[in-house]
Amino acid sequence: MRKLLLVLLACLPALSFAQGFQVNLEGQKQIGMGHTGTGLLQDGASVFFNPGAMAMLPQNYIQGGISPLIFKSVFNPSGSNDQFYTKNKIATPFSFYAVWGPKSNWWKFGVGVYTPFGGLTDWGNQWQGKYALESLNLKAIYIQPTLSIKLADFVSIGGGFVYNIGSVDLTRAIPVSDANGNDGQARLKGTGHGYGWNAGIFFKTESGITVGIDYRSKVNTTIKNGNAIFGVAPSLAANFPQPNTFTASIPLPSTTSLGFGFYPSKRWTLAADVNYVHWSVYKVLAFDYAQNTATLQDTYSPRNYKDAVSLRGGAQYAASDKLFLRAGGGYATTAVLDGYVTPEAPDANRYYFTGGLGYKLASRLDLDVSFEYEKLLSRTQTNIESQLSGTFKTHVYIPGVSLAYHW
Amino acid sequence: MKNFKLYLYILLLTGLYACKPSVQTPAPSHGSADFSRYISVGNSLTAGYADGGLYLEGQQNSYPSIIAKQMASVGGGSFTQPLFADAQANGSGYLQLTGFTATGSPITASVTTNLAVTGQTAIPGFGNVITYAKYTGTDLNNYGVPGIKLLHVTLASYGNLNGFYERLLTGAEGTHNTAYLDFITAKPFTFFSNWLGNNDALGYATSGGAGDLLTDKGTFAALYSAVMTKLTASGQKGVVATIPDVTSIPYFNTVTVAAILAGVQKANPAVQALFINAKSDATAAGTTYAARPATANDLIVLTFPTAKIGTLVSTPAGMLPYGLTPYSPIENQYVLDANEVALTKDYVIAYNNTIKSVAASKNIAVNDMYTFLNNLKAHGLVVDGVSLSSAYISGGIFSLDGVHLTPRGYSVVANEFIKAINTQYGSNIPLANVANYRGVKFP
Repeated sequence: MRKLLLVLLACLPALSFAQGFQVNLEGQKQIGMGHTGTGLLQDGASVFFNPGAMAMLPQNYIQGGISPLIFKSVFNPSGSNDQFYTKNKIATPFSFYAVWGPKSNWWKFGVGVYTPFGGLTDWGNQWQGKYALESLNLKAIYIQPTLSIKLADFVSIGGGFVYNIGSVDLTRAIPVSDANGNDGQARLKGTGHGYGWNAGIFFKTESGITVGIDYRSKVNTTIKNGNAIFGVAPSLAANFPQPNTFTASIPLPSTTSLGFGFYPSKRWTLAADVNYVHWSVYKVLAFDYAQNTATLQDTYSPRNYKDAVSLRGGAQYAASDKLFLRAGGGYATTAVLDGYVTPEAPDANRYYFTGGLGYKLASRLDLDVSFEYEKLLSRTQTNIESQLSGTFKTHVYIPGVSLAYHW
Repeated sequence: MKNFKLYLYILLLTGLYACKPSVQTPAPSHGSADFSRYISVGNSLTAGYADGGLYLEGQQNSYPSIIAKQMASVGGGSFTQPLFADAQANGSGYLQLTGFTATGSPITASVTTNLAVTGQTAIPGFGNVITYAKYTGTDLNNYGVPGIKLLHVTLASYGNLNGFYERLLTGAEGTHNTAYLDFITAKPFTFFSNWLGNNDALGYATSGGAGDLLTDKGTFAALYSAVMTKLTASGQKGVVATIPDVTSIPYFNTVTVAAILAGVQKANPAVQALFINAKSDATAAGTTYAARPATANDLIVLTFPTAKIGTLVSTPAGMLPYGLTPYSPIENQYVLDANEVALTKDYVIAYNNTIKSVAASKNIAVNDMYTFLNNLKAHGLVVDGVSLSSAYISGGIFSLDGVHLTPRGYSVVANEFIKAINTQYGSNIPLANVANYRGVKFP
C-alpha cells in the first residue's frame, strides 16, 4: 500500500536539431571564397550551389573533396568557474560531384553526393549537462541527380531530385543511480531517409555580372524504428522496457540563395551570396517510443526556431595560370531563440573567415585546399527545458582538400 | 608542392592548438568574509546523515563539505570532518533499497556490516546510549551532531546522552561535561554555518506528537540568541538556515490516508473511513486525545507498518480491526494529526522568525530553507536536466528515511547556502555541480 510511482521527468532523451548542424562545406573552391558560389561557374559543385549553372559549365567534371572538421565548444555553468570542453573529435563532411554533357551542347547531367547537415559533439559523461546530452553524431547525406538546360546563351536552368540518408546516434545520462552510484544511460541510434529537390537559375548579364538564384527544398527526414537502448539499474528495468524503438521526424529546412559574380579584371573574381534558411519549419521535436511506461513517455519538445540569414563574400585571384588564391568570409544569424539553446550544437550568431589555394596539377587536374575558421559568439543561456544554465562558446576549425578532374 | 605542405601544417597547428575557446569568469573574491577556517554547526543534516544513518559516504557528501570544497578558490582553508574509518564505513548502519514489490512499493533493508558501533552504555536517569568509534583527529570543522536540538546546546551532560556527540569528545562515556556550544567555539574560526533547530520541531513531529516535545518558543529564542552571540563574539561572519516546514518532507507525504483507505477498500468495499487517535486542540498545553475518522489533513508517518491495518486487536469493546473503528484507532505515534500539524507549523514559523531576526541583528546571511523546501514541494525543481521534487525515492532529493537528503539533495542545499553567502558578503564562491552528486541508489 506504500504506493510509489516512479515518475522521472526530464530524463528522456530527445534530439535537438540546430543551425549548428548546417554544414556549409560543399566545395573547396567555394569554401576558399567564403562559401559563395550560387552566382559563379566554378566547377561541379554547381550541382549543390546552383543546378541552373551546370549547363553553362565549359567542361565536364568529376571531383571529390573532404573537410575534416573540429568543433570545439566550451561551457561555463552559471555561478561557477568550471569550464567543460567537447572532446577532440573530427567529423568528415565530404562532397562528390560528377557533371557530364556533350561538348558545347544545350544540356548537362550531374550527380552530387554531399553532406549539408551533420554534427559530431562529444561532451563526455562527466560534465554538468550530461543529463541533457553526452554525445551526438548526426549525419545527413544527400544524393542528388540533376539535369540542367541552357535556354539561351545568357540563361540556364536546372533542377535535381534529393534523396537523403540520415543517421543519428545520441547518448545521454539518465539521472537514476545504480547500486554503485553510476548514472543510467540512454542511447538512441537509427537511420532514416527523406526526399526533396534543388532547383536554380543562372544568368550572364550584359555588364558581365553573373547572377544565380537557387532553392533547396525542405527535406523531411523520418527515422523509423531506431534503437532506443536504455541501461539502468535492474530494479528499474521495467520502467525502461528493452528492446525498444523510437520514431522521430526531423525537417531539414529549405534554403533560398541569391548569388552574384563580379569580374573586375582577368585575374580577379568576386562573389557575394545571401542565404535565407527557413528554420521556422522547426516548431517541435517529437519523439515516439514504441513501448511507453509511466516513466518512459513520448516527448514533445518545443523548438520554435526562427528563420536565419547568412551573408557571404569572397574573392579569387589568379596568381598565374596554375595558382589561384582565395579568401572570404561571412556572417550568419542564429535560428535558435533565447531559452532554446542546447548542447547538441550550442547555437549563436556566428562569423567566419576562409582562405584557399587552387593549383593545377595538370591541365585537367585541379588540387584545391581550403581552411575555415568559424567563431560562434558566446551565448549565456538558461534552457527552458533542462534549466541548464551557463555560457557556451564555440570555435570551429575546418581544413579541406579536393581533387577535380575535368575535360 | 613543398609550400602547400607547409601551409597545411600551419593550418592544422592553428586549428588544434591555438585559440581553444574559453569563457571569462569573474576573478575569485571572498568579499567581506574570511573563509580561511570555516566551521559548520548543526544536527544530522549538517553531519551528512542519510538513509536513516550516519555513514562514510553520507559524511563525504555533507553540505558543509561541499560548501568548503567550493570555498577553496576564494580563500577557504582545509575542512576536516569526523569521518568513520574505511573498515567502519557503514557507521551507525543505514537503509538500502533492495527492490520493489509487485505493486511498486519499495523494499528496504538495513546495512549491518562494517559498523562503527562500539557498544551500549546505560546512563542513569536517561537510558541506553549507543556509542561509536571515537573520532581521534585533532582538527575538526564539521560539528554536525545527529539528533541534537537547540535545546541541548548548553547542556553540559549532553555528551553522555548522544553517541554521535560522544564520539567527538575525549574521555569515557558517562564522564563528559562539555556543553556543545563550548565545544564548537573552543578553537578559533573565521566563518560559520549554523543550521540548528530542526529537531526542536522534527522530534515532536516524527513521533506523531507522542514521543517528544516542541521546544518552548521563548527558550528557543533565548538559546538561538546565545548561540549567535557566541559564534560572532570575535566578529566572525557566517550563514544560518531556517527550519523546514516538517510537512514539506516525504516522511509525512508518502503513506497517505487516502492510499491506505483505498487499499483497505479493495478488500472490503464497505469500509468508509480510517480512525485515528487525534489531538483535540492545537495548543501545546492540551493533552486530550480522542478517536475520529482520519482526513487528508492527518499525516501518516513513513514508518507506519501498514500491515497492522485490519488486524484484530483487543479493545474494551472486544476484538476489533485495527484502524477501522473508533475503539481501535491508529495509534498516536503513527499520525501527525491536523491539530498537531497546525501546532508544529506555528512553532516552526516562530522559530524561523527568531532565526531571521537574530541573523538580521548581527548582519549574518540567511539561507531560507523553509521557503526553498516549500517551493520544492509545490513546484519541483529542474537543475541541469534533472527533475527534482520532494517525492519519496523518485524525487532525487530525499534519502530513504524520508527526512534526510541524498548527496544530490545535499549539493542542492549547499548551493542555496553558497547563494546566500555570496549575496550577503559580495563573495563569489562558485556553485557546486549538482550533476556530480547521486540521488537514491537503485539495486
